[in-house]
This record gives sequence, structure tokens and C-alpha cells, in this order.
Amino acid sequence: MIQFEGVAKTYQSGKQEIHALNGIDLTVETGEIYGVIGFSGAGKSSLIRTVNLLERPTTGRVLIQGKDISTLSSKEIRTIRKDIGMIFQHFNLLNSKTVYHNVAMPLLLAKTPKADIEKQVKDLLEFVGLGDQAQKYPDQLSGGQKQRIGIARALATNPSVLLCDEATSALDPQTTKSILDLLRKINKEYNITILLITHEMGVIREICDKVAVLEAGKVIEQGSVFDIFSNPQQPTTKRFVRSVMNDELPESLLLQIQNAKSSNAIYRLQFTGNSVGKPFMSRVSRDFKVDLNVLFGNVTELQGIPYGNLIVEFSGEPSEIGRALSSIRESDIHIEEVNNYVS
Amino acid sequence: MSVNYEQILEALWETVYMTGAAFGFSLLIGFPLGILLVVTRKGHLLENEPVSKVLNIVINIFRSVPFIILMVAIIPLTRLIVGTSIGTAAAIVPLVFYAGPYIARLIENSLLEVDKGVIEAAQAMGATPMQIIFRFLIPEALSSLVLALTIAVVGLIGASAMAGAIGGGGLGDLAITYGYQRFDTLVMFITVAILVVLVQGVQSLGNVLSRTVRRS
Repeated sequence: MIQFEGVAKTYQSGKQEIHALNGIDLTVETGEIYGVIGFSGAGKSSLIRTVNLLERPTTGRVLIQGKDISTLSSKEIRTIRKDIGMIFQHFNLLNSKTVYHNVAMPLLLAKTPKADIEKQVKDLLEFVGLGDQAQKYPDQLSGGQKQRIGIARALATNPSVLLCDEATSALDPQTTKSILDLLRKINKEYNITILLITHEMGVIREICDKVAVLEAGKVIEQGSVFDIFSNPQQPTTKRFVRSVMNDELPESLLLQIQNAKSSNAIYRLQFTGNSVGKPFMSRVSRDFKVDLNVLFGNVTELQGIPYGNLIVEFSGEPSEIGRALSSIRESDIHIEEVNNYVS
Repeated sequence: MSVNYEQILEALWETVYMTGAAFGFSLLIGFPLGILLVVTRKGHLLENEPVSKVLNIVINIFRSVPFIILMVAIIPLTRLIVGTSIGTAAAIVPLVFYAGPYIARLIENSLLEVDKGVIEAAQAMGATPMQIIFRFLIPEALSSLVLALTIAVVGLIGASAMAGAIGGGGLGDLAITYGYQRFDTLVMFITVAILVVLVQGVQSLGNVLSRTVRRS
């Protein structure tokens, strides 16, 4: 659906060159919700804007349905933009126009017959849950409602792609959730491919199928949301994952372990899917001569798959611990030593 | 009092006529120029450095000549356009040269206030540059545009009084010839009072209009 091939963007700022994007290769499949996450200045905004050519790549290509869009004429670009809806962090609505007029705008630009506009705007406003607000003005509405209007407006031309530029970053957590629910509904009901950029890992966890982590204009890690969350590789990715998945030992506990100078082995155990809910602890302590002490743990859900994370202290003979560990490994549990916590 | 009632009314009419006509023509020139000043800027809709540079220099030249000098300086041009350099109609020409570039700047300012995000949203939905100007930029700036143009009208009323100095007629002329040169304090007082009321009226009208067009 959308392919980035070696996309680079360089800005000239005085005599200095700023490399906003440094050779991006990404593929967004049809029907996917693809999230790009990064800290501010990582190049997210530039990246999403190359898809509808609000920014032109300095080098590299962006292909939409196999077509290289950088070769298109301005007229063709305008046509393709009607197939790519976009919503913004600050909504970017016309404050001088009613909600109705705002949503009708893309249709007015396309010179759609008035009767069709009326029907379509009414349906769109119903769909986003603002059917009774048509005659209000944007400044009479809340942030969440404004974003719903932004979404209705973006959907007016029946696009096949929706670009979300930090769409929930100006909203409170509860409103964020309702907007994300709406985006998911759009994705499912209309099969619209969604490309979103955000700095909130919670957004990625909530609705994305795939994620790419952007740093200094480069994709440093990408994959399914489940893989990235359960096994992040890069330090930046780990930081993002930790921002929503609390798998760090609490400070006080850490101190306690350090002070005890315990020689016992501490391991992080990660379970996914089937292995959650298996009574491995009692089994292991029965089968081997080890004691297990859970220091920390949580279970969350990633894309509908349960995902557990335990930090366990093993005490006993080293050989027994070794045997216990290999037995645990056999039951699909990922083990990682966390001695570094005590160092 | 050395003037009669009719003379004052006639002078008032001349002022209104000069101001109104000059405003109309200035708007005709200033509005497109104001839009051009905005859209040819760097990074804007129709970025065009040469056009932008030339436009800015020309407008600055006109803006830097004091009106009283401008009036005299363009007398040959005035004569060419209206056939004479004295009288109310002749005063309109320098007034337009004065207010046109001024209005261009005022309009530029108002349009620049429009949130860049709105323009970006317009581009993202596939709007043409013309559609962006007329369906996004101008409606969003309309309220501020009306206030800016009110400033231009008030400025024109003042300038039209100065036009009296070259026999342009109007309240300024009356105040100078009778109030000042013939030491008739009452005429001076009356003309000033009328000008004050006129300006107050224009400003109030501008305020009301600006509020009503805020939402369209």
C-alpha cells in the first residue's frame, strides 16, 4: 500500500544541513494500522508528510499502491491527496465555519452536488458520534469532539489511507482512548489503512498492528507490536516499551537486594500466550530443590495476547537451579538473567 | 461664523466621497497585492522570491513617502488620469497611491495570522492554491481583515483632510481656509468635531462588522 524506499529529507538551515530523514525503508500493508514512534525531532512529522507530499523527499521514493508519487504533476498530486485523509494534533479546523461546513469542505472543493454533500456529512457526523452538533462552531467543542470532526472531514472523500499526525497528543487519556477506539472502528469497518505517528507508546500498544521506532531520521527497529513490546532490542525502543510496560524493579526492592548482597540468582521470566496461566512455579519447586521468590510481576495484554513478566529470585544449589531453569525453558517461557540489577 | 451650514454639509460630503472612492480603488489594488505578498513568501503556497522581493520594495517605497509629499510628487500622473490636479476628484489619485500599499500591508498582516495548520489541512485535502486562498485563508482572516480595513478608512479620512491643502475640498480644506487662515475658531471646532464623530462612527461600524463576520 505505502512503501518508503530510501526516503531522505534534508533541510537547509542557513549554512547548516539538517537531516530530518536518513534513508527510510518501510512498507505499510493494506488494511494495517502502522505506528511510527519516536522522540521529538526524530523525523516523524517529516516522514508522515512525505506520503501526501506536504514534504517532498530529497532522495528516495514513496510508492502508493505501487505508484511513485514524486513523479506526479501538481494536479495528480491533488487527486491522490483526496485518497489520503489526514488528521492533525491541533485539529486544524476552520474556526469561522460550522461543524457541518468543516466536514463538507473536501466535498465542496470537489464540487460534489449539494444534496449528496448534505447526506454524506450527516452520515459522517453520525458515524463519529456528533450528529447533533452540526450547527456548532469548533470553538464551542471539546478537544475530543474537534478531533472527531477532523476525522469526519478526513473521511469525507472516502480515502483508502488515513494519516494521523500525533492525533491524540493534545488529548487527555480518556479522550485519547475514545479517539483510538474510533480509529480502530474506521480501520475495521472501512478497511482503511492507517499510518500514525506518535510519541506515546500507549497509542502503539492500543491500536497498532506494526510499529517502527524512529531515531535521528532512521528506523532503528520495526516489527509487529507484539514482538517489539515483548522483546525490544534497541535502547530507545526499550525506553519506549518501559514507558507503558512497567517491568522495572521498584527502587526500594532494588536497594533491598543490593543491601542483602544476595548471591541468589535473579531471572526475568517472560511468558506469552499459552504459557501464561500454567502453574510452573509450584511445579518447579516441587520437582527441584529450589525456592522461588517473586520479586516483581505483571501480566498485560498485547494485541489480544496475554503477556506476563515476572522477576523471580531462585535460591538453592546452583546445579538444581540450572535444572530448574532448563525445565522452565521447555515450557515456552523466555528467561533472562538480571544480575545486572544487583551490580 | 464665516461659513454657512450648506458649506459645511458640502465639505462633509466631499470628505465622505474622497474617502469612499479612494478606499474603493485602494482596496482594488491593495487586496490582490496583500494576498500576493503572503502567498509568494518563502515556504508559502506560491513561493516566488523575485515577485516577493520586487513587491516588497515597491510597497516600501510608497509607504515611506509622506502623504503631503506624495500628493505633490505625483501631480503629473494625477493630471494624466483626471485631467486636473486640483479638486476633489484629483485628490483621490494620491489618496489611492497612499492607501493602496498601506492596505496591502494590512491585509498581509491579517492573512499571516491564519494558522499554518489550516493551510496544511487544506493542502492535504487536495485544495488548489486558489481554493486555499478563497475558501480557507480569507474566511479565517475575515474578522481581522475587517478591523484592518477599518484602520485604513480612518487613515484615509485623515489623509483626505490633508488633501484639502492642495485644494482638494472637504472638511480639511474648510478648516484650513476658514478656521486657520481667517482665524475662525468656531469653524475649526465644528470641522474637528465632525471628523471625530466620523472616525468614531467608522470604527464602531468596523467593530460590529468584524464581530458579525467572525462566523460565517
